[in-house]
Amino acid sequence: MLDFIVKRLLQVIIVVFLALTVVFFLIRLSGDPTTLFLPPDAPREQIEEYREQLGFNRPLYVQYGEFMINAVQGDFGQSLRSGEDALGLVMQRMPATFQLAFAALIVSMLIAIPLGVLSAYKRNTLFDRVGVGLSVVGQAIPNFWFGLILIFIFAAQLQILPSSGGGSISHMILPVITLALYSISRFVRFTRSAMLDVLNQDYIRTSKAAGATTSSLIMKYALKNSLIPIITLVALDLGVLLGGAVVTEVVFSWPGVGRLLHQSLLNRDFPIVLAGVFIIAIIYAVINFIADVLYAYVNPQIRVK
Amino acid sequence: MFKKNIAAVFLLSFLFLAACTDGTNVDSQDGGTESSENGGQQDSIVIGFEGDAATMMANHDVNYTTDTLIRNIYDPLIDRDGQTGEFRPVLAEEWENIDETTWYFKLKEGVEFHNGAEFNAESVKYSIDYILDESNGSYYRSRWTDVEEVVVVSDYEVEIHTSRPFPSMIERITEDLLIMEPGYVEEVGVDQASNEPVGTGAYKFVEWSRDNHLKLEAFDNYWRGEPSIKQAEFRIIPEFSARMSAFMSGEIHLFKNIPVDSVEEIGTDQVGEVPSSRINYLALSNLVDGPLQDEKVRKAINHAIDADELLEAVLNGYGTRITGPLSQLNSNYVETEDYPYDPDLAIELIEEAGYSPEDLTLTLDTPSGRYPMDSHIAQAIASQLQNIGIEVEVQVNEWGNHLEKVQNRETGDMFILGWGPAFEPQSTIENLFTQEAPYSSFYDEELEEKIFETNALFDEEARFDGYAELQHELVEKAAWVPLWQQADLYAIDESLDFTPRVDEKINVFEMTWE
Repeated sequence: MLDFIVKRLLQVIIVVFLALTVVFFLIRLSGDPTTLFLPPDAPREQIEEYREQLGFNRPLYVQYGEFMINAVQGDFGQSLRSGEDALGLVMQRMPATFQLAFAALIVSMLIAIPLGVLSAYKRNTLFDRVGVGLSVVGQAIPNFWFGLILIFIFAAQLQILPSSGGGSISHMILPVITLALYSISRFVRFTRSAMLDVLNQDYIRTSKAAGATTSSLIMKYALKNSLIPIITLVALDLGVLLGGAVVTEVVFSWPGVGRLLHQSLLNRDFPIVLAGVFIIAIIYAVINFIADVLYAYVNPQIRVK
Repeated sequence: MFKKNIAAVFLLSFLFLAACTDGTNVDSQDGGTESSENGGQQDSIVIGFEGDAATMMANHDVNYTTDTLIRNIYDPLIDRDGQTGEFRPVLAEEWENIDETTWYFKLKEGVEFHNGAEFNAESVKYSIDYILDESNGSYYRSRWTDVEEVVVVSDYEVEIHTSRPFPSMIERITEDLLIMEPGYVEEVGVDQASNEPVGTGAYKFVEWSRDNHLKLEAFDNYWRGEPSIKQAEFRIIPEFSARMSAFMSGEIHLFKNIPVDSVEEIGTDQVGEVPSSRINYLALSNLVDGPLQDEKVRKAINHAIDADELLEAVLNGYGTRITGPLSQLNSNYVETEDYPYDPDLAIELIEEAGYSPEDLTLTLDTPSGRYPMDSHIAQAIASQLQNIGIEVEVQVNEWGNHLEKVQNRETGDMFILGWGPAFEPQSTIENLFTQEAPYSSFYDEELEEKIFETNALFDEEARFDGYAELQHELVEKAAWVPLWQQADLYAIDESLDFTPRVDEKINVFEMTWE
């Protein structure tokens, strides 16, 4: 087991390292940020002076090496625009992003799991077909569009919910629904198929024959057994929700990491982007790591592999 | 039972998460809805903004958003009349150009900072020194390098000494400089001062939640009198549709930059329009090899483009035509001749230059979303040029890339760009039509000499004559295709009294509820 954990931990480090490397080079391809920060009438020598001060005139591999050495020590440098600590700025935004992601995850599970179970139990009925159909649609709808439609209906027309910003429960409702839509659709389909697998097992038929009631059959025998893969999916989705809330955060002006990254990318504020990618990659990799370890703990066969 | 437990756990976690929120926006949200119903009793305002300030520190970030937000907290020495763009004294009562390298300023007495400290000459010196000190990393420094020293003459008098003649000093003071409280910055340090600003402005800082909101409250001891609106909030809403929904539902009372095709949706009675000092133009590069090095071809393109039609058809008429390098808002503006739309003459000119229009293939770079309908304008220009047979390849760029291409001279024959705020001819003409300046990619040796000569003139009459001549010559040489001054379009709550300014500033002090 220890071997397994060490191996998986190494993988976490490699994932984070690769993510930072890829983003570092990709973002450099987008060009030089100095011109965006200086006034348009800045003379050429001034631009050069700033480039030198910020180190952008050195060979790329030197910049990369220095960045990695500092990054290992947790130093991502200062925001090019405001001069504040980049990692600090990202960390300030984490609570808002966590809040949105967890709320979306909880809402998705509350809605999707019962729906998935019912769909499986009533398979091939109208309820099942409509449920599966809707979940395909839900997965296909782009969330910026869905978000704007929600804003239009509930904020502009009905005026019962705020259109943007953060701060109260009412501010959370629309972004949470938007963000949860995709997960709900995924969970419904996954729960349904996991349940169907279990419902076809012999022991279910046996319990049915032994006179188990419908509810005890589902809750006690079927759902419990199909929950393990569902929980893995939920854990992975949390990673997606934490990293993938950029669009939702922008549409709803939610003051989280996604907004910060989006804005920093447009401004070419490299240190913030890299610090943000670092945090998201770590979260994603660690969640995966925990899911792997738990799975291995529950199912020793995986350890052996 | 199992199900009930799970449900209870979920519910509790959700409530817990919800309880983690800081509950800050609820009040303003309510306030917002109230205003549209009974604006008369309103003493707070919420203004929607596309982006957030990078810092609350004055004199640091060269950026419209940062500047506009913090100008409600800090005062400048001089600002502009909101309608004419003329200089207007604020913390400086008088100023005078003693000699070519010395400027004198007499400051207002009895002005107080939000922390009770007194405004004086030291604060002016400190604010300029902040820009000049390399270690502060102010992006304004590049514009101020000619300043040698700020000398405190008395408590309310300062002199600025420059290393060479600096005729645009007043422009720089007006556009860039905001006055900081030296004692406060020294005491709390730059980090804290960048997050909790203290100035002499009409509004005191209350709370800044990045990318979320900036809250301000009226400064009762403001030297120009108590502001009529007591609470002001700038709410950051990057997405236009969300901003518009927030406006329609009364959550916000004002926002800038309505796309021209959304004016009708908002309703013209709630739209405020002002011709901006920002001009849009089509640059014709004579620095890259190609037909545009020939004056006749540049003239032909001026004749082949129908700017009035573009303005009507693409911008729905929201814009003010310009015919020369400057808009009417500039000092020293003179009316210049226009190249009338004449496709036949255009073809004739191209043939005179030894080409046939069908042989010409030109490239046109445009940003997307930086200026009103920019990429649509580019497409329309391409099709107008295609009407006389010129093939145009339109290249649409993300704004950062576009700017970089322009600055590194990597664009092709033509590009679309805007320039502003532009109120005085020196910065516009020098930054657009000299060899060093990349923003029009037009260069003419003789003309450049004249530009530098005129810029160095201090005598007002001679300066006026110099710039008048330059304007005519630039048109004569068909240096570019002048298009229009942008129209700044604001969505304004019916009960809010706010007149949009030509310099795009949004000063809450100037607003009242009807």
